[in-house]
Amino acid sequence: MTCVEFERFLPEIIEQENLTDKQAHLKECSSCSTLVSDLRVISHEARLLQESDEPNPRVWNRIEIALRQEGLIRDAHTESTRQLESPSRWRLAWLVPAMAALLLSIGFLKHQRDSNTAQSPSVQPNEPATVAAVSDDSPRFKDEELLQEVSLRSPAMRNSYGTDLENVNAYIRDAETAARSNPNDEAAQRYVINAYEQKAMLYEMALDRPLQ
Amino acid sequence: MKNSQRFAKVAIVPVLIACSAFASGENAAPDKSASATGGKKEYRFKVSRHASVTIDNQYGPILVKAGADKEVVVTALTNSDKVEIDEGKSGNRVGMTSHLLAGADSNSGRVEYEVLVPVDANVTLRSTSGQLHVERLRGDIQLESSSDIDVRDISSGHVHIKTLNGPVTLTNVRDGHIEITSVSGDVVLNSVNGPLVQVNSNSGKIRYDGDFGGGGDYNLTSHSGDIEATAPSYASIDVTARSEQGKVENDFSLHPKHTTFLMKAGSAFAGTMGEAASSVKLFSFSGKIHLKKR
Repeated sequence: MTCVEFERFLPEIIEQENLTDKQAHLKECSSCSTLVSDLRVISHEARLLQESDEPNPRVWNRIEIALRQEGLIRDAHTESTRQLESPSRWRLAWLVPAMAALLLSIGFLKHQRDSNTAQSPSVQPNEPATVAAVSDDSPRFKDEELLQEVSLRSPAMRNSYGTDLENVNAYIRDAETAARSNPNDEAAQRYVINAYEQKAMLYEMALDRPLQ
Repeated sequence: MKNSQRFAKVAIVPVLIACSAFASGENAAPDKSASATGGKKEYRFKVSRHASVTIDNQYGPILVKAGADKEVVVTALTNSDKVEIDEGKSGNRVGMTSHLLAGADSNSGRVEYEVLVPVDANVTLRSTSGQLHVERLRGDIQLESSSDIDVRDISSGHVHIKTLNGPVTLTNVRDGHIEITSVSGDVVLNSVNGPLVQVNSNSGKIRYDGDFGGGGDYNLTSHSGDIEATAPSYASIDVTARSEQGKVENDFSLHPKHTTFLMKAGSAFAGTMGEAASSVKLFSFSGKIHLKKR
């Protein structure tokens, strides 16, 4: 079994410990073994983040906007004992570090996989990049969903966020291409990290806006 | 005997007055206070050293300057009754939030803040579209906005800035630990030095004018934005500049150095000047890079 074949079964392997026919490859291949180990850690941590069983943040947004329009939660804010942050922001606050950590983890994993792919003699350079499958499914909030959030929170900023997302995604594509063609290059590594840092910032700033 | 009793009575009066004044003084200085005139409100908070001050303002500018040693004074001018100021103090932490009510927009929800903080305060400012201006502080500063950010006369602090589209200008920032992330806003650094000066830009231009002093790491990186760095002839630097798809120019005569990448003429240069005390890395994917001599 090659690394590419192995990676097709990654989702099953992460979820189930005993897949005997895949174990043989795991024992032989240190890079796949490390990847599976890392993904299991991320999967485990992600479950912990979701333990509060919070519904989608947009549900909270809609409830809060509806309550504000009805004037039902204004009184709570006019009391003398005001809080530094509104409760709704705390409800969403866990998403910000979670999203940032997830994006950076994906960037790091992608970069690491790119390096491994380029260095592994068993993988042909013109094969499709298997790491793309990891990124396409992993981010909880896709860009379109983020733009919907921005439309709810700061409608005037939606176009600006759309343009910024396009620019950042273009940066990510260029950075990954550079890293793939020269995985040990310092500048290429920096581009990948910086591009994902920008995307994490976009998500963080979009989700951190106070509600109207 | 009579005289001594009279003396004792006379002497005790100023002592009692002093005690009473001291006690009333304690009571008259509450932890925080507020006053209002029209849409303008003033808040005063007693703080101790290294206080943290956080202000969230969706629409409108925030101006922060150094003030008295143990007091934070916030003046907030609201544009309408569609925005309220939520304020609070917890320990040595002061927080102010512009709380938009239903129907508020960028005009009616606008609040202008002027803030005086102790010089060693740590300041965090967030705004969607308002200008942020901070000057003459020595604490850590974190700023987030999509509008203009202006920071000047700062020393010995961490300066962390995140912006989407607004231009960022740093002037006279000494011994700073500076990290700036910008998507499309230009970043201008004038007389900025310190152990770490890091700019991560996408399409925004980066302009540095200073001496690259302090034996620091200067990492200026962009995707498509041009990078222009101006330094004096006495600068002590170990410089590497590369643009994958753009051109690079260098006005200095550098001592050659070994690099781990293939150096293509016109798209990369590397070398040292003086004792190479500071590391300077100028990387752009497709922007132009110019290292200029002052």
